[in-house]
Amino acid sequence: MEPSLGSYLALSGILFTIGAVGVIYKRNAIGMFMCIELMLNAVNLTFVAFSRYYGDVTGQLFVFMVMSVAAAEAAVGLGIIIAFFRNRVSVDVDDASILKN
Amino acid sequence: MNTILLQNLVTPNVSLQAVLPEMIVAFTGIIVMIYDSFMPKQRMVTGALSLIGLAASAFALFSMWGEAPASSWNGMIANDGLRMSFTLVFLFVSAMTILISTVWTERENVPIGEYHALLLFATFGMMFMAAGNDMVIIFLGLETLSIATYVMAGLRKSDLKSNESAMKYFILGSFASAFLLYGMALIYGATASTNITQIASMVGKANFPALLLIGGAMLIIGFGFKVATVPFHVWTPDVYEGAPTPVTGFMAAGPKASAFASFLRVFVIGFPLVSGAQASAFLHESWVTALTVMAILTMTVGNISAIVQNNVKRMLAYSSISHAGYAMVGFIGAGVAKTMQDRDEAIAAVAFYMLTYAVTNLGAFAIVTLIAQKNDRRTEFDDYNGIGFKSPVLAFSLSLFMLSLLGLPLTAGFMGKVLVFRPALEAGSTLLTVMVVIAVVNTAISAYYYLRLIVVMFFRERTTSWLEPKVSGALAAVLIITILGVFYFGIFSDNVIEKFSGKPSVQSAQIK
Repeated sequence: MEPSLGSYLALSGILFTIGAVGVIYKRNAIGMFMCIELMLNAVNLTFVAFSRYYGDVTGQLFVFMVMSVAAAEAAVGLGIIIAFFRNRVSVDVDDASILKN
Repeated sequence: MNTILLQNLVTPNVSLQAVLPEMIVAFTGIIVMIYDSFMPKQRMVTGALSLIGLAASAFALFSMWGEAPASSWNGMIANDGLRMSFTLVFLFVSAMTILISTVWTERENVPIGEYHALLLFATFGMMFMAAGNDMVIIFLGLETLSIATYVMAGLRKSDLKSNESAMKYFILGSFASAFLLYGMALIYGATASTNITQIASMVGKANFPALLLIGGAMLIIGFGFKVATVPFHVWTPDVYEGAPTPVTGFMAAGPKASAFASFLRVFVIGFPLVSGAQASAFLHESWVTALTVMAILTMTVGNISAIVQNNVKRMLAYSSISHAGYAMVGFIGAGVAKTMQDRDEAIAAVAFYMLTYAVTNLGAFAIVTLIAQKNDRRTEFDDYNGIGFKSPVLAFSLSLFMLSLLGLPLTAGFMGKVLVFRPALEAGSTLLTVMVVIAVVNTAISAYYYLRLIVVMFFRERTTSWLEPKVSGALAAVLIITILGVFYFGIFSDNVIEKFSGKPSVQSAQIK
């Protein structure tokens, strides 16, 4: 039997929450970034589930956009993290603390 | 399945004319990037090319103002007052930023060709955020803008502050994008469409009303991050302080305005009050109330935090948070407007507010950049001690910009505030009236820190040596344009408002 729309939505909700909690609790910039990717993929699952449910391609098209944007974001983001690592020899966000009141 | 999908495909009504301003900016960006990779370090050439591109884009924009069809690309691109007026703001901000950045040519080794290309791509993203009448376009515009701005914030590769600013901006920005995207997915689930016009016609009869509500909340979180409203503002002061000063000026004026443009389009146009539909009334009331609370918090927290700052850039960052709160008052006014005309006028008022804020803020940032010296060393309040009579031109211009940010009559800031507060006041609801009263009280509070800078400049003794910075031609042009702008928008605001709200928006025929 094919899983219902509800189970897909529940799975994507759970994945999104895991990602969001991960971003808040992780201290490693790479780890945080991976959690953000997890959130984006949860969104993709939601789009595909609804796209299938309605028999409408818009949702799948949106997923392509999200994937290409996520790839561009990864390229820029890792570059930024590497620039930080070169000067600090750390990717721990707690070390990013010069700018504070 | 495949045959059904193929039947649903329709030939798009491609109209390159409708996206001409955006295309010009994108192509200029590509040309600048290619030119810079073959002939690096030609700062003047890439800067001049970018300015020409922006001017051509503005020309294209004016020639299609009110001329082009109301929407094109199968309804994905809107062509209303909201798009036109905000696009004008972005082009202005971008051109001013290029001129302000010329101070780098003398004193710093910044990869300026890449910077110009990134700035143009960011502008392209902003323009699509205002033009997009479909969530796909808004998302793509937002990401084009964000990715370019992350890099611009970290432009000083060897500077720890700049690294830190870029990393914080990147992580929190993509975190916010994920929320925004989840909101879009849920709205798509509830309405089976990503088109704002179709969403507006579906809100009354959505398939899953609960998803619409959760999706709306997610969108508020996502956009709230982008426009820096309390409680989603925590990244703003750090990112603004660490980024190179011209980039900070750009981020406070441009991306904030573009986030407002899509925020307005999705909420005011996408989630209207449809008479006779229970679900839409509940959704409408929920988002108006949520944004009202956010606006009140944003103004108050922004202003109170700004008082205790000792760094001018950080003070201006908190000031930009409070200004987002004032702009939101106009936003809510547009949301509760009873007629289409009132709504369009309120939207035009928000666009006008962002224009006045951009003019004033960029002027202020031009001077802050000039005084900051190499690597933004002098940005504390103490660095401004007693410069009033040593560099009168800079000090008097900065004082004028501070008074305009405060909202003194005859300046742009005053007219902007009056116009955004009026629609909310006219709505007659108690909550909105309270919000306007709080906004006025906040204006009074903000006098403390704006006037403090003026007092510091004119009435404090300078203990350290003061080297009068050289005002280059480009920077003088920025100061002249912004000072004239501050007075022009303060005195002749009617002309601009008329232009901004002149054309009826896309949806006017469909809702009424």
